Amino acid sequence: MISPIPLEGEVAVEPVERGRPGKSYWQESWERLRLNRLGIAAGLVLVFFILVAITSPILAALFTHTDYRTIDLANTFARPLSAGHILGTDDLGRDELTRLLFGAQVSMGIGFLSVFVALTVGATVGLVAGFYGGLIDGLLMRFVDMILAIPAIFLFILMALLFKPNAITLALIIASVGWGSIARLVRGEVLSVRTRDFMVATKALGASDLRLIGRHLLPNVLHVLIVYGSLYLGQVILIEAALDFLGLGITPPTPSWGNMLTNSETFFFHSSWLVVWPGITIFLSVLAANLFGNALRDAFDPRLR
Amino acid sequence: MAKTVLAVHDLKTQFFTREGVVKAVDGVSFELDAGETLGIVGESGSGKSVTALSIMRLVPRPGRIVNGYVKLKDQDLTKLTEAEMQEVRGESIAMIFQDPMTSLNPVFRVGWQVAEPLVVHAEKKRPSALRDGVAMLKKVGIPNPDQRAKDFPHQFSGGMRQRAMIAMGLTTMPSVLIADEPTTALDVTIQAQILELLRDVNREFGTATILITHNLGVVAGMCQRVLVMYAGRIVESGPTEDVFAHPQHPYTWSLLKSIPRLDADRHEPLRPISGIPPDLLDVPPGCAFHPRCTFRVDRCSRDVPQLQRVGETQLAACWVTQAGTNLNA
Repeated sequence: MISPIPLEGEVAVEPVERGRPGKSYWQESWERLRLNRLGIAAGLVLVFFILVAITSPILAALFTHTDYRTIDLANTFARPLSAGHILGTDDLGRDELTRLLFGAQVSMGIGFLSVFVALTVGATVGLVAGFYGGLIDGLLMRFVDMILAIPAIFLFILMALLFKPNAITLALIIASVGWGSIARLVRGEVLSVRTRDFMVATKALGASDLRLIGRHLLPNVLHVLIVYGSLYLGQVILIEAALDFLGLGITPPTPSWGNMLTNSETFFFHSSWLVVWPGITIFLSVLAANLFGNALRDAFDPRLR
Repeated sequence: MAKTVLAVHDLKTQFFTREGVVKAVDGVSFELDAGETLGIVGESGSGKSVTALSIMRLVPRPGRIVNGYVKLKDQDLTKLTEAEMQEVRGESIAMIFQDPMTSLNPVFRVGWQVAEPLVVHAEKKRPSALRDGVAMLKKVGIPNPDQRAKDFPHQFSGGMRQRAMIAMGLTTMPSVLIADEPTTALDVTIQAQILELLRDVNREFGTATILITHNLGVVAGMCQRVLVMYAGRIVESGPTEDVFAHPQHPYTWSLLKSIPRLDADRHEPLRPISGIPPDLLDVPPGCAFHPRCTFRVDRCSRDVPQLQRVGETQLAACWVTQAGTNLNA
């Protein structure tokens, strides 16, 4: 007889250590994020712009007492800090601050809608392609390659000419290119998660494909989506401003940071503040989105630092 | 005689690779009786794991089951649709994997995961499933299960995770439990605990268990019957005691000679098996073991031996022992 591994008798139970309750990946990431001062500051700047966008009509009514369309030809090119116009007025005597407040609606609204659409489509395509592999993966990813092979700015211009742009179509136009790189990123992440044992183990307990993808795969790639979503927000704000600047986006009289820049460039030499204010808001919001995105990445994956 | 719960007949699973067809499982037949523990031993690449994955229909691409059937009670699993198979997985047959460190989803609490089969199969609501999950964690010997259920996998040690995996497999009271090298990734003391647990589970729930391992000591301690696999085929099978006492296939014989035994003569040297396992893309003709076999005769390199009764209780696929030669003389 070969000697069996001794199994009889009482086996000591592993020592019980009972400290603080378990922290999830999300809780731990949040704690790391909280310690990143620059990241938190950037996040707060973003939150500030979001709040401004949501409350701009109220803010205008309470503080600037004017509308973004109210023309005052007797008071054009008022300097900043002049009576009643903290940031001055433009070539038609419209209050600059009011226009900036309403411009935030355009930038943030289009920004978030575009990010949401691009993330949803990109994540779905990436998850499906990565999970099933083979022919499905090949077809979907070649399609993505195709879209990303065309210079984006030409696509934007072409589509902006084809569809009369309003805020929603503009967001969709921008998202129609943005989802491609998200799909690629997600697929790459899925390829590494898919081969981990728990995917087989979960399949072995009888989970359907839908459950495997939605309940098990998605939470494991969510951090990629959050980080990229934040970084992509900065890009969208820039793209939107660029399209406005080219006259293909939001058109006057609706103010956007982009078309305010276009409008004021001709007056740059005698009223430079009209260029500076929208420039600063674009710069700040894009910088905040990028810094916050980087902070999120560091928080989710401290090894990358 | 106990009732058969699982019957595998002439199962062939092949991997269609660029380099050629790999016959990972090549005509495997066996039966598993209710409440029994059956051991499958063999070295890496002998087809043990692929056999298990074939039963679960989880063979990864480019692998495919090309022949044979797997009958669970009266249901032929190879004929089910994927949706029907999802009902079987986790409900009637549960599987435990080798590496408990990676077999749990890192983003979910352990209790949540242990309860998942109930949510999937018994259509229980999460809270009641969670209660059953905690009860099961307690049964598999996790101290403080109410608290530990709220922990994440990284807070569990390897042994604890394997206990959680076993709990997960058992929540639905499956009739068959397949444990694929459940202790290979654990250290020795924890191994003993997990095996003890599997034994208790087998006794308490009457779950028929297939224990896949390359550790002969584990088989000796756990299994009533054993199958020995080599290059995708079963080369010997029989009651564990008989197979270990007088192996009827030279491969089993060599395996037993190559490991230390408490009851062996202390001065007898261990004898490693010479050579390497065959390349499954290019399996030697005849008996796949013949190039490494010390007993081989001419016929071994020509004809493939079939599994036949040798001795009173054993089956062996060997021309030498089938001709009446006694390996153990």
